Amino acid sequence: MSDHVLVVGAGLAGLSAAVELARAGLPVLVVDQAQAAGGAIHRQPLPGGRSLATAAQEQRWSDLMAQVAAQGSRITLALATRFGGVDHKGTALLTGGMNRLLRPRAVVLALGARETVRPRPGWTLPGVETAGSLQIRLKTLGEAPQGRVLLAGSGPLLLAVGAQLTKLGSPPVAILEAGRPFARPLMALGLPRDYWIEAAGYLSRLMLARVPILTGTRLTAIRAENGALMAEASNGRRFVADHVALHDGIRPNDLGLPTCDALPVVQLGDCREALGARAAMVDGQTGGAALAARLLGQKAPSPDPELARQRRAQARLADLYAHDVSADLNDLPGDTVICRCEARTLNDLRDLGPAPTARQLRLDGRFAMGPCQGRFCGDWIARLTSAQAIKPGIGAPRWPARPIAVADLLAATDETEGENP
Amino acid sequence: MTGTIFWNGTAIPFRTGESVATALLRAGIKAFGTAHTGQARAVFCGIGLCQGCLVRAEGRLTEACLLAASDGLHLSSEIAGGQDV
Repeated sequence: MSDHVLVVGAGLAGLSAAVELARAGLPVLVVDQAQAAGGAIHRQPLPGGRSLATAAQEQRWSDLMAQVAAQGSRITLALATRFGGVDHKGTALLTGGMNRLLRPRAVVLALGARETVRPRPGWTLPGVETAGSLQIRLKTLGEAPQGRVLLAGSGPLLLAVGAQLTKLGSPPVAILEAGRPFARPLMALGLPRDYWIEAAGYLSRLMLARVPILTGTRLTAIRAENGALMAEASNGRRFVADHVALHDGIRPNDLGLPTCDALPVVQLGDCREALGARAAMVDGQTGGAALAARLLGQKAPSPDPELARQRRAQARLADLYAHDVSADLNDLPGDTVICRCEARTLNDLRDLGPAPTARQLRLDGRFAMGPCQGRFCGDWIARLTSAQAIKPGIGAPRWPARPIAVADLLAATDETEGENP
Repeated sequence: MTGTIFWNGTAIPFRTGESVATALLRAGIKAFGTAHTGQARAVFCGIGLCQGCLVRAEGRLTEACLLAASDGLHLSSEIAGGQDV
């Protein structure tokens, strides 16, 4: 496997890149932590389960899988396999289904997007999760969870998940949207037609089911009460639910990812720039072809104009949903948990002074020192302090990118032995 | 096809291909024990980033959201005894 290009992530971007690399004659190893290819967008239902995908989505995915199959043995797919990072020599660590150390020819990181979730009192309670986490479960199981669901935060994903819950016979009790996306119809008119069709589908389903969509409304706190979750909204209303799904936006899932001087490491799809599914596929194709050209010493292909079109559409969408979150952050009670890993609170952060350094944040405050490496608190710590220079990861990423068992490291087949780089 | 996993000794059915986390959630189990911080372990991000849903599988700590359920798998909360932190 050491002559292979390693692609991490078997979603739209990763597999599109793998197809282009294989077409250029390069052997490709694609790994994914999930049990099946698909990524977040094309997460596949369990065998025999109900699919939530539209006909167009099914077609897109089956076309891509057919292209992968057409490459035969040039593409190897290793599922339930996790990527632990690349060291300074270019040695990549894989654990799980394929447990080995290998020195690939290049690495493509196509890990998709991560969600941002604004801290709120009660956001660490069981039953509170991200909207993306709930959506993956809906797509996998083809059924809604038992009990009442409340969706809150900001972004088009809330409407998508709400519509999918409704389709599965369990409409959410409400959708609390902090922005006012329907208040700027002229701006919305500039969105591409397929965005409109998708949004109209979600909204019509939600309206038929009479799901309250409260725009300009924030979820301010969640409490556990009588075996359920009690959510307080900024307009004074309260909602009782069994599940609360939060979502405050999408970012590239790029925190803690390695760079390496020993071999090319490129990020593609949402992992490079969070522009959604349409862009991820194009980026995977053009990025895969460009990497193949680079490795083979050929001329780089020209960029696809579709990427710029999707960038404009996503910028317009972001403008539609834009709202000020600084007041919400400033109004947080001091005992609100900011760092979920180590249960460090806003008071703990304020104790470090108005402009803590990354070193103070980590060594004195323990922020970003937990196993998530600041993936969920980093954005907010940067905003809550005047430490403008702090990147979301807070300081240098640690190897491995995620916690691994020493037993896996010892058991890994070492394909780099005998090599002398 | 289905099978059975064991959560702190209790039998929980699962469907082939699903994660430990979805099997536990379908069984109505939302809190996967208590972490060293005193907070409940629970599913949050669902994609292995937050490390919030760690459980002990055959003794080893791992993300419940990524671990495939397999027949006869014994799982327990991170800290034995649950609430006694």
